[in-house]
Amino acid sequence: MTAERTPTSDKDLWQSLSLDRNPSRAAVSDLDFAAWLEGRLSEPAAARIDSAVTHDPELRAAALALADILGKPLPSSPPSIVTRAQALVGFPAERSLGSKPGMFGMWLAVLLPSFGGDFALRRGVMAGLAVIIAAIGFVMGGGLGQSFAEQKYASAESTVAVPRSFGTDTSHQLNDLFTDSI
Amino acid sequence: MTELNQIDLRSLVAGHKRTWDGFVLAASPLINAVVRRSLGAWRLSEDDIMDAAQDVFVRLCTNDFRLLKTYDPARAGLSTWLAVVARSAAVDFARRRRQPTSPIDDIPEAALAVEDHYVEKLKIPEGLLTERQTLILKCLYDEERDVAEVAQLLKVDAQTVRSTHHKALLRLREHFRERTP
Repeated sequence: MTAERTPTSDKDLWQSLSLDRNPSRAAVSDLDFAAWLEGRLSEPAAARIDSAVTHDPELRAAALALADILGKPLPSSPPSIVTRAQALVGFPAERSLGSKPGMFGMWLAVLLPSFGGDFALRRGVMAGLAVIIAAIGFVMGGGLGQSFAEQKYASAESTVAVPRSFGTDTSHQLNDLFTDSI
Repeated sequence: MTELNQIDLRSLVAGHKRTWDGFVLAASPLINAVVRRSLGAWRLSEDDIMDAAQDVFVRLCTNDFRLLKTYDPARAGLSTWLAVVARSAAVDFARRRRQPTSPIDDIPEAALAVEDHYVEKLKIPEGLLTERQTLILKCLYDEERDVAEVAQLLKVDAQTVRSTHHKALLRLREHFRERTP
């Protein structure tokens, strides 16, 4: 403590001094910090945050920045922030809207067991039932094998020369007449 | 447009889509401003800033709105609390990406000064200054803020800051018994 080193200006005096303690960083909750920023805390509660802000440069920078932002009119945000954030919530609502069945769905839902509201399982069972119903309908309507056999027979027939009919088609007769003469 | 203080918090934490949409619309200018200011020193791209803002909203609604449910309107305003939450989330986001950088002009002179390790600083004994007095001196001299900024931070008028500063210096001078050379 020498007289020569003691400065005269307020700033120099402050900068020649140091605080006589190295406090452990007290955790400050977001809610306490917000209440402190609004000046809502009692004096003892505010003193605890004052101490934390004094000794933690990061917290002090945060306090100064937030006080500045909250004291000014805010510019509007880019629309993409709003769009992306709004998409975060809403799937349960859409699900309840989308799960309202039509007449066929209601009829099918009566037949299906309850899966405790499991949307995917319910949809899967309904799709499986639809495939089974379609297969039964196809078999009852003639079946894949018979249809295929008919198609095969028809294509084989078309490759065999079909005897030409005589005397019934005028255009054929005329054609024959001219080709024979050549 | 819905104001933040008009948001029905019960409906919001119950996950009602319309309330959430209104909340996002009302909160996005604040969250955008806080995220941009908080990430200023990190030199991140515009896409990163958008992602950081989205990260704040994700934090608010994740785990069935667990973070939003911790908010107590009796203790702080929603906008102030959101600003604090947004800053924490933005800093966490930036730390996951890269180290911060600051333009040299933005750094207070005191922080750039090369300290003379051979000069031992005089210690201010505990209890000599109140926490509030110490904070005001730190803001004025270490952070190089003006009186108006400190008054805005502490929600007091500028005259209170000046008077607290004056009393603190009187105590310090009295304690260390300054003598002019």
